[in-house]
Amino acid sequence: MEKEFSANDSIALIEEMINKAKSNFSDDSFLYLLWGWVIFICSVGHFLLLKSGLVKNPEYIWVLTWIAVLVQIFYIFKVEKKKRVKTYTDEIIGYLWMTFGFTMFFITIILGYTSNWVTLYPLLLFLYGTPTFLSGVIIKFMPLKIGGISCWILAFVAKFTPNIYILLLLALAVIAAWIIPGYLLKIKFKKDKV
Amino acid sequence: MFKELDPILHSQLRLAVMSLLIGIKEAEFTFIKEKTNATAGNLSVQIQKLKDAGYIEVNKQFKDNYPLTTCSITKKGIEAFEKYVKALQGYLHTDTN
Repeated sequence: MEKEFSANDSIALIEEMINKAKSNFSDDSFLYLLWGWVIFICSVGHFLLLKSGLVKNPEYIWVLTWIAVLVQIFYIFKVEKKKRVKTYTDEIIGYLWMTFGFTMFFITIILGYTSNWVTLYPLLLFLYGTPTFLSGVIIKFMPLKIGGISCWILAFVAKFTPNIYILLLLALAVIAAWIIPGYLLKIKFKKDKV
Repeated sequence: MFKELDPILHSQLRLAVMSLLIGIKEAEFTFIKEKTNATAGNLSVQIQKLKDAGYIEVNKQFKDNYPLTTCSITKKGIEAFEKYVKALQGYLHTDTN
């Protein structure tokens, strides 16, 4: 491989290798689907339990998100061990979602006690949109960008939606922002691998 | 102007390694080997040359009882790469003139 090569060969080689490295970001579809389905089950479940009036504290269904946190920690630990390359793209996206996780945690803790969840949910809807949209921008993936924008629109709609129906908007938001892009991302990675 | 091309970088495999590492944080030896289609022996030699020049950092550790080598580009490496690309541009301009 030590043969003489021209300036044009050099440029072509640089371009080829940069392209090989560029397309090497991680497949995060599992995490989008995990959180998409968990939030979907919690919001629809919460709505149905409220409507039926069968349970005293229907909001306890959100405990499921703690299980999702454990699954995520286990998954990330497993994936990180297998990773052969660390990219700046993955690092930025990781920090972006970590910041989102902390924001969600503190907002639900602080506002959860002092205000009604009907006020809280439009805010949560808006927050779902931000990291989703930015992830779409970073990895150049349109379904995530559309998902993020959908969350912002639904946050606005939520302001004018009668109380418990906001829960259904939340379900709609995760379908648009995480479930659909999650499946599309999975398909994209499978295709890229072939 | 006709600029001298850095001999450390003006070699197919070493340039391939540097171009791969320029856009990522760090990569395992096996990843670089797969992307450059090089043999392990040749790649080891070239990586050592890049390391001796101070262009890359090589980290050796163990993962699940197997030796693991990871490489990342250094600040000096980035500067050398940028200088090399500029020099290449000089060559291309000379070609077209």
